[in-house]
Order: sequence, then structure tokens, then C-alpha cells
Amino acid sequence: MGVLEGAVTYANLLTLLAIGLTLTYITTSVPNFAQGSFAIFSSYIAYIVYKLFNFSPYFAAPFAILFGGFIGVVTYLVVLKPLIKREASILILMIATLAWDLILLGMIGIFSESLSKYFGAYISRFIFPYYLDFKIAGIQGIFFSSTLAIALSLGFLMFLLYKTKFGIAMRASMENPSLAEIMGINVETTRLFSWFLSGAFAGLAGALLPFKQEIVQATGQIIIVSIFAASIVGGLSSIYGAILGGYLVGLSESLITFWLSKIFGTSVLVYSKAVSLAILVVTLLIIPGGLVTIKWRRYLWRSRR
Amino acid sequence: MLETQGLSSGYKELHILFDVNFKAEKRKITAVVGPNGSGKSTLLKSIFGFTTIYDGKVILEGEEITHLPPHEKTKLGIAYLPQTDNIFTELTVRENLIIAGYILDEQEYNDRLELALNVFPELRDKMDRKAGMLSGGERQFLGIASALIRRARVLMLDEPTAMLSPKFASQVFERILSLRDELGLTIVLVEQNVIKALEVSDNALMLIGGKVAFSGTARELLEHEKFERFVVGYTL
Ligand SMILES: Nc1ncnc2c1ncn2[C@@H]1O[C@H](COP(=O)(O)OP(=O)(O)OP(=O)(O)O)[C@@H](O)[C@H]1O
Ligand SMILES: [Mg+2]
Repeated sequence: MGVLEGAVTYANLLTLLAIGLTLTYITTSVPNFAQGSFAIFSSYIAYIVYKLFNFSPYFAAPFAILFGGFIGVVTYLVVLKPLIKREASILILMIATLAWDLILLGMIGIFSESLSKYFGAYISRFIFPYYLDFKIAGIQGIFFSSTLAIALSLGFLMFLLYKTKFGIAMRASMENPSLAEIMGINVETTRLFSWFLSGAFAGLAGALLPFKQEIVQATGQIIIVSIFAASIVGGLSSIYGAILGGYLVGLSESLITFWLSKIFGTSVLVYSKAVSLAILVVTLLIIPGGLVTIKWRRYLWRSRR
Repeated sequence: MLETQGLSSGYKELHILFDVNFKAEKRKITAVVGPNGSGKSTLLKSIFGFTTIYDGKVILEGEEITHLPPHEKTKLGIAYLPQTDNIFTELTVRENLIIAGYILDEQEYNDRLELALNVFPELRDKMDRKAGMLSGGERQFLGIASALIRRARVLMLDEPTAMLSPKFASQVFERILSLRDELGLTIVLVEQNVIKALEVSDNALMLIGGKVAFSGTARELLEHEKFERFVVGYTL
């Protein structure tokens, strides 16, 4: 895969994950450290579905999406809601998601190891080889499918939030939960649904990621660094910010690491996460509120004159 | 219709209301008056379920509803306009009104929307504006309109005229009066302007320091020999 296509593919998937992280942060103020594992657990589910049916891995995506949504719901109901009821601080909630992430890592381990036994093959580490993907004009299908995935997800999310009554209720609950309750909205339901959506987006990203890179049990712990960098660069509390941050961090992580490897040799590839963290630090030093606080309109207007 | 029995409530450890017996009679306007910080807003919040309740009951038409979640109370027909933060500033006026009618079906929503917009025609040409861009008075119109859209039996209004010029304030009072008559609403009205409030109300409750200082008809309170002292000094 070409460097640029690879970078766009990665940025597409990272943005999908950053949107999910931001969504649950807005609705429940929980910075979810398990978002990466939501995706990777779903990757394994996609792989198993692929193994069982021996069909295209794309066929497994709906299963991964549902599974991701399911973990999202379980995370909220089992881990977070009891703590929120006891008025736990944001710090406690954050640590709880870290602990939950380790539990998920353990479950991914148990799941993949025991299935390795079942299939009689080592599946704890896998990739969807390029010949399972389609190709258009010599470009790997994942470039197109990941672009389609982000476009459809965003289209769906925007339609939901701006054109449906339930979506408007979600936005109302995000802005002022008690007033939303006064209007007769069950705010708990909107929160639960945001966790479902966030998990489903992670599931979709997880289903596609193995086309791009090898999956190991701890891939979630590695990728979460970039997800957080993307969301925080965007401002952490805006979906638009997550999109801007996802592409900034995703593209530069791939491209800068690539250029560095040209200069210093392939050994720098291991340090790609340092690039996303460097971008995070630099962005916040220049724009402390994140990308979303830039008045883009004002700049556009100025440059047009 | 709506009453509290021996209600004691506050914010976590901070006790605000003590043993409050309050009653809003059917199709009547009940004014809740008292000095700043006396617990008027806290009483409405407690009825709706946004405070810590230590003791006592909230009863709607004979049914205890003390610990129902707020959105269930809305479904039972209590509409509440909070004193502050009573509109969604990030949503448009239209979206605010859609959310105000969240529990209604389409047909009913359209009817109620028409009714609310007839009461506040000023909102008609601002439907697609973000509510955060409205003026203070327009926000209050939107807030009251939102409360009217809900198919309410009891309307609890916390200082509906606070942001309005005196002329608009009297108009709003008139509109509230006509609503009670047309729709047979039960209204609980918290007001800073005591005399104005008592003139339009049937019954009155006066709170001082979180305790009931007077409970009876609005006329009685107005004609109470010590009324002047209540209003000026708020003591009994
Ligand atoms: N959210 C809150 N947390 C803690 N204390 C509060 C809160 N809201 C109000 N209080 C306190 O409760 C007391 C009663 O406040 P409340 O808002 O009920 O008064 P009020 O009679 O409505 O006054 P006003 O006429 O100024 O609106 C005040 O001492 C206030 O400081
Ligand atoms: Mg008040």
C-alpha cells in the first residue's frame, strides 16, 4: 500500500475511534481508556467470524459493530453507572476505565488463546492478508472501504443528532441534563445509547484495522495513545474537534514517521506514537483549547478579502 | 391537586426547607413568595426531584410521587420552568420547542406548538436562530412557551417575568391568567414582585428561612394587617 493511502486509511480509522471517545466524554464526562480495546476485541470477533464462514472479512464487519456496541453498553452499565450513582469523581471514573481496559485485555487473551486451541491454529496474532481485500485501480480496497466507513458513520451521526427527535434529545441532554429531564427525556437512555454508538464505531474501526496492520492482544493499549491525542487535540468536547484531531494526528503520525524513517532508518518506526504525542503537546502549547476553538470562519473571511 | 406534606429538603448536607406543607389547588394560581434565599426555588426543585429529600412527601392527585425520576413527573403532567438555565442555548428555537414537546405525539405537538406560538408570536420569525442568541426577554418567552407545550396539568413557573420589562411582565401575567381559564391549568407561581403576584393569584404561600410563614388565600395575605411588614421586612 502506498504511504499516502496508508496514512489516509489509518487516519480514517483513528477518527472513527476519536469520535467515539469524544461522544461518551461529552455525554458522561468519562475519558474512556478502554476505547482501544473495544476496537481490538471487535477485531478478534471479526477474525473469528471470518474463520468460521470463510467469507470476505468485510462480511464480518456487522458482527464486529454489534459486538463493539455491546461492550460499550456493558462498560457503561456494569462499570461506570454504579460509580456515577455514588457520585464518583472524573478521576475515579477514568481509573475505572483503565482497570476495565486491563480486564478486557485479559478477556481478549483468554478468548484468543482458547480459540487457538479450538481451531488448532495460532490466532492470537493475525492480519487480513492483502489478497482477501479487493483492489480498484491498483489501490487496496481498505483505502476505499475505510473512507466509506467514516463517511457513512459521520453521515449517520449527523443525521441522528440534527434530524431526529431522539438525536436532538441527545444534544439537549449533553448541554443540560437536568433541563432535559424536565422536558421528559430519560437522560440515562441517551447516555446508554451514546455508549452503544461509541462502541459500535470502535467495532467498525476494529473490523477494518486488520487490513491495515497486524493485530496482537495489546494493540488496543498502543492505539489508545493516538485516540486520546486525536480527541484532545480536537478539544475533547466537540465532534468536529475529534474529526479535525483524528486527521491531523492520524495523517502526521504516519507521514512524519515515514519521513523520519527515510532519514534515520526503519528503527524509528517503533516510535510512531511519540509523533502523535509530540503533535498533542505542540498543538496544546499553541492552542490550549484544542483545534475546535480556532475561529475558522474568521480566518476564512479574512483571507477572502 | 399537587401538595407536599412535611417536606424537608436541601442540597446534600445543606438543609434548606423545614417541614413545608404546600398545596396547589386545582385550576387555581398559587403564589409562592418570600425574600431572596428563602427557599422558593428549592421548593419547586424538590417537588420535581432535583434536591435531597430528608423527610416528607410530594403528592400529585392522591398519588405519592416523591421519588419518581424527574422525566416521569413530566409524563404525569407537571411542567416546570426553572428560574435559570431554562432553555438549551446550543439548540435552535425550533429544536428547543421540539424537545419541549418530546413526550407528545406529532399531532398533539403541532396543536400545542400552535397554541404556544399564539401566546408568544414574537418567536415565530426566530425559529431557526440559536436560542443562545436570543435576548433575555426572548429567552424567557421561549422558556415559558416550552413549559406551555408540554401537556401539563400543573404548571410551575419560577419567576417567569424576571427578565422582562414591566410592560411585558404584565402582558405575561395576563397570558398566564387566560391560560388558566382556557385550559383549566393549575399554576404555581414564584414571583419577586409580591403585590403583582398576589393580585393575580388565588392562594399564597410565604416562605421565610425555609419555613412556612403564611399559608392561605392571596387576598388574606394582601389584607393581612402585618402585610406591609412582611413585604418590607419579611418577618412575621
Ligand atoms: N444548587 C445549590 N446547592 C447548594 N445550595 C443551594 C443551591 N441552590 C440554592 N442553594 C441555597 O439554598 C438557599 C435557598 O435558595 P433558593 O434558590 O431556593 O432561594 P429563592 O427563595 O428561590 O431565592 P431567589 O428569590 O433569590 O430566587 C440559598 O441559601 C441558596 O444559597
Ligand atoms: Mg429562586
